[in-house]
Amino acid sequence: MTDFEKALPPLEKYAEMLQESEAIHGISLWQDAWRRLRRDRISMIALSFLIILGVLALFTPLLPLQSPKSQDLRNRQFLSPTLSSVPLQIKGLDGEKYDQQVSKLWHNPGFFDRMQISTRVLIFGDFSIPSLCGTDHLGRDLLSRLFWGARISLIVGLVATMVSLVIGVSYGAIAGFAGGIVDDVMMRIVDILYSVPFIFVVLYLISVLSEDEIQTWLENHGIHRIIILYIVIGAIYWLTMSRVVRGQIISLKNEQYVDAARTIGAGGMRIVFVHLVPNVLSIVIVYLTLTIPSVMLFEAFLSFLGLGVEPPSVSWGMLANESIKVITPLEIHWWLVFYPALAIALTLYSLNFLGDGLRDALDPRMKNK
Amino acid sequence: MSTFLLKRFLWMILTLWIVYTASFFLMHLKPGGPFDGEKKQSPEIRKNLEAKYHFDWPLWKQYGYHLGKACRLDFGQSLKQKDKYVNDIIREGFPISATLGVCGLSLAVLLGISAGVVSALQRQTLLDFSFRTLATLGIAVPNFVLAGFAIIIFVFVLDWIPAAGWGKPINLILPSLCLSAPFAAYISRLTRTGLLEVLNQDYIRTAYAKGLMTPAVVFRHALRGALLPVVSFLGPATAGILTGSLVLERIFFIPGMGTHFIEAVLQNDHFVSLAIVMVYTVLLFTMNTLVDLSYGLIDPRVKLQD
Amino acid sequence: MPFSLRKIFPYLFPLFFIAALIPVLRFEDLPPADFSFSNGTEPQSIDPAKVTGAPEGRIINALFEGLYRQMPDPEDFSAMKPVPALASGHTLSEDKKTYTFTIRDGATWSDGTPITAYDWTFSWQRFLHPETAAEYAYQLWYLTNAEKYTGSKLEVGDKVEIELDDRQYPDQHFPRGTILSGLLNKLEKIKTGEKDKEGKPKTVNIYHVEMKPETNGIVDWKAAGELRKFTNIGTPEKISEPHGAEKVRQVLIHFSEVGVKAVDDKTLVVTLKNPTPYFLELASFYPLYPVQRECVEKYGFPDWTQTDNIVTSGPYLLDFRKLRDRIRLKKNPKYWDLDSVKLNIIDAFAVQSDTTILNMYLDGQLDWGNTVPNASIENLKARDVDNGTNELKIAPMLSTYFYRMNVNRPPLDNPKVRRAINLAINKQDIVEFVTRAGQIPAHSFVPTGLPGYKEGMSGEYNPEEARRLLAEAGFPGGIGPDGEKMRKIEILYNTNEGHRDIAEVIQSQLEENLSITVSLANIEWSAFLKKTHDMKYDIARAGWIADYPDPNTFLDMFVTDGDNNQTGWSNKKYDQLIADAMQEPDPAKRLNILSEAEQIFMDEMPISPIYYYVSLNLVRPYVKNFHPNIVDLHPLHIIEIDQEMKQEFLKNGEDVR
Repeated sequence: MTDFEKALPPLEKYAEMLQESEAIHGISLWQDAWRRLRRDRISMIALSFLIILGVLALFTPLLPLQSPKSQDLRNRQFLSPTLSSVPLQIKGLDGEKYDQQVSKLWHNPGFFDRMQISTRVLIFGDFSIPSLCGTDHLGRDLLSRLFWGARISLIVGLVATMVSLVIGVSYGAIAGFAGGIVDDVMMRIVDILYSVPFIFVVLYLISVLSEDEIQTWLENHGIHRIIILYIVIGAIYWLTMSRVVRGQIISLKNEQYVDAARTIGAGGMRIVFVHLVPNVLSIVIVYLTLTIPSVMLFEAFLSFLGLGVEPPSVSWGMLANESIKVITPLEIHWWLVFYPALAIALTLYSLNFLGDGLRDALDPRMKNK
Repeated sequence: MSTFLLKRFLWMILTLWIVYTASFFLMHLKPGGPFDGEKKQSPEIRKNLEAKYHFDWPLWKQYGYHLGKACRLDFGQSLKQKDKYVNDIIREGFPISATLGVCGLSLAVLLGISAGVVSALQRQTLLDFSFRTLATLGIAVPNFVLAGFAIIIFVFVLDWIPAAGWGKPINLILPSLCLSAPFAAYISRLTRTGLLEVLNQDYIRTAYAKGLMTPAVVFRHALRGALLPVVSFLGPATAGILTGSLVLERIFFIPGMGTHFIEAVLQNDHFVSLAIVMVYTVLLFTMNTLVDLSYGLIDPRVKLQD
Repeated sequence: MPFSLRKIFPYLFPLFFIAALIPVLRFEDLPPADFSFSNGTEPQSIDPAKVTGAPEGRIINALFEGLYRQMPDPEDFSAMKPVPALASGHTLSEDKKTYTFTIRDGATWSDGTPITAYDWTFSWQRFLHPETAAEYAYQLWYLTNAEKYTGSKLEVGDKVEIELDDRQYPDQHFPRGTILSGLLNKLEKIKTGEKDKEGKPKTVNIYHVEMKPETNGIVDWKAAGELRKFTNIGTPEKISEPHGAEKVRQVLIHFSEVGVKAVDDKTLVVTLKNPTPYFLELASFYPLYPVQRECVEKYGFPDWTQTDNIVTSGPYLLDFRKLRDRIRLKKNPKYWDLDSVKLNIIDAFAVQSDTTILNMYLDGQLDWGNTVPNASIENLKARDVDNGTNELKIAPMLSTYFYRMNVNRPPLDNPKVRRAINLAINKQDIVEFVTRAGQIPAHSFVPTGLPGYKEGMSGEYNPEEARRLLAEAGFPGGIGPDGEKMRKIEILYNTNEGHRDIAEVIQSQLEENLSITVSLANIEWSAFLKKTHDMKYDIARAGWIADYPDPNTFLDMFVTDGDNNQTGWSNKKYDQLIADAMQEPDPAKRLNILSEAEQIFMDEMPISPIYYYVSLNLVRPYVKNFHPNIVDLHPLHIIEIDQEMKQEFLKNGEDVR
């Protein structure tokens, strides 16, 4: 063994270094972002809140809540938050009686929900949480309605987010990057879609969907009306996103790193999605977090017109809409205003903090820091 | 620049035509017409009504007839506001919505950008935190709830402002405030994010290195780049806000375009709703063109494409 | 891009803002009105022939006047009674079919010209004319041949009037072109080969008319005349040419055949098809108010209704009109009964949101609010008790809230199922806890309160009986004969929170009491109408407001294939009874026949009545002569303001709330 060889690290060391470098190379933007996000405490609190909310919404029938639909006009109208509760009166029933009681207490539960309901009855029996958030104008428990409403509102928010993310971002990015006639045509299409008032489309859809033949066709194919609501909401909400992304891309596409990518022979698609899009993600995230509450209220408007959620099902948007009736100078049933607004605000709040955290985490300039 | 504008103008004509056509057929193909009411008319009366407004013609013929008139900017008579021509309705309603809209929008821009700048500069402080909380509330609380509480406080508790109506400058205060709240919240969030983005850039560091003070850096250099997303947002938002907001018009009893439009649509007053859609499209197009122009004005990195 | 533009760009925003304030500074200052009220939706028109709604009615009743006018009965303020208005009185013939009205001396239009009987012949001709397309035209079909005139229906042998195609303004049907008269000899219907919108072949008419000469406006029906052929103006050349038919504007039954005639300036004779005990109510109903011929013919519709052009006859003049904001009325100095008009300036606000109405009322912007938000009714009652006032006025109304049931769709084709559903609805709970304004649970379709009439009975809320009936119908416990659950029943209602709440409660009651599955379908207004008109529903919500205070306005809609039946229900005996009642001259007997008909209707139960509406009005204590009543009509000109009380009231500002 020569001195020279001695001065060199042993082979194992090379292997180690190689491994290390491979490991560094292997950290993608996303892994890196996750690593940094985990270090941000507020974002993690927000994220956990959202996850818990999602899980609770998914397993709502399992929770010991009161019935979201059973009314008590005589005794429980407009109760302010109270510790009194209505037991379910379902324990010990079986067979047909049980089924009848289930359909009285819950609106059209599906298979998955039925399973949860029977588990709930097994665990909690007739017990249900008191009306901690008060009751509404028909004497229904607001807490329970908030949970059931979360299911619809969260899905609506999620769908709108996904659609604006996928369609809006790629559409805007391509238009902005391509420029010229392609950009012109693509953005004018957006303008046209913007201008044809969605309400015409919605009303037309409502009338078409309420035709008996179409209703039966949809039922036979297992398409629920609510799916159409999701599609409509998705179709409307990507437009603004695409305009915003395009604006950003136009300002970024003359940056040096884009030229650099081009000189080393990167294709157009690669430049857009690998180099440009991550740079606009921060603004995209802010947009998404801003869109979600307006989507929830928009859902309530569509339901009001007759496309979407039918009572006694409920959503946060509908609960918020109902609150307008209870704000009068003579009396305010504050709980009917406060809790739905609180639910939406908390969700939005967590989304914002998570969004800001993600923004920092995804910042390409912070990579590997 | 003039070729750019000319091109945009031609695009606008094409868009107007497509939007007109699509809206026309969507409205007419949907079952249920303007003459339906809780009390159904006898066939004779129904026939007379349809003949009067040419609803007995084949659809393509109606389309040609009304499109021809629309090209001459004549939208005919309203089917529901029978004493009025559609053009009069818009002439009366638009200035009202526009006045309210501009007040709300200016307020939103003013509040939003200031809050956004302060938030970004004082990042992670109590000030930033409270502005962000306010912004969250501005978006999460629907503006009718806001309006309800504003009325109780300013009208009934403090007794400063009349409850509703239009015709005095004081009537503008509450609706502008409620109208601006969600927009201000949006703008402040977008400004904050945009500014944080820009403040990391090399040219800002250069500016500081030149010895400039923070306000100079922010207002002369950073804000320009940071405002791009705000401006993209403002284009369509302005078109929307100028054509009225149904909910606030209802609550504050303001005779604006938002009410005209929704009522017209729901009652199948086809000619009024079509005309308002056309106004909206022209506005939207103008605003978007202005936005595209201002990209170049605001951000030196953007080149206008002719 | 010029550098300077970039520099000034930030300053454009404040400029923009200042520009917006210019219109604000130009707001004009209006003198305050003596009396302000909320009028609901914006009136569609102020032309009496063109509208059908209550907000329009309130304005037209102030601007115009009819032969008679509905006024509070001095003996019982909750009832309304037609009293002579532009007519000073009338006589009724023995067979109760001919009314002779005397026009009041001194009644003038607002431009000073006298009002004569000829104003009615003109106005009613215009009202009935097919091109006016008046939706309320059927309110005058009680006159002989009036229905034929509106429907352009003709039979061979009819006297006809032909309007040539020489109108002064082609798009206005008044002033009319040259009118020729003749006898219809033959009516040919020829297929054009085209199809109409429903795919039926289109036809055009060729009228063969024996012309009659006319001198000084009097047609000599005996004289012999040439034979001419006419056809309507839209007929294609390829048909009119070979037939040698002249194209004319209209061929209608001769207006002299319609039952309204001006004998002289002061005498108007009206001939009816059947004895109509409620004809004076109709004569005081706003669509039948006269309009001035000169004004209408000079400006045409809609220009004649503009503030500068309109000529009116009522206690008030139109001062100005701001769309969806307000209509301002001012006293008409030429009104014949000027002494009874108390208020000088009235503002009618087109406020729609009931919360806003309440806010404006409590803030002192309104003296009369015409509706109240449900949620506030109890607070307002309590407030009245606290203040010792009676501001919230609730009165029963002649209208019914009900559910239609589609009798063509099983299982609703079975009357027992329909009755079971009706008995399983707890109407008391609905009015007490949902609508909460003191509405009356309905046991019949015709509301209570019509003197001399005994309503049909549908039975009280009784879940036991309901379950028994459902079992009898073959669905014990909601389970059908095949052992399957009864199919899901859908309740259709139009977008409205009030309807939704009621539907939700009924859904829960039916599920609770009958163990059947009920779903709700909410749909926007015009699609809702389409679905109910086409009978594509199981159960649909509906409401009916009386056109005139008589059971017939409710009952005649459910005759077989009636336009507003929409349930598919048909009963021969019922049809016969309604027709008999029409012919019966004796009022008491007539009401008995109608009562018998309604009992059949309630036994068969194609509808379930839910409640009778009430009117809700909020009126300031210093407003005098405001009487809640069964038709919710409140003549504006007799309303008075106790100025002393008002001053006092305004001084104690805090008590306003």
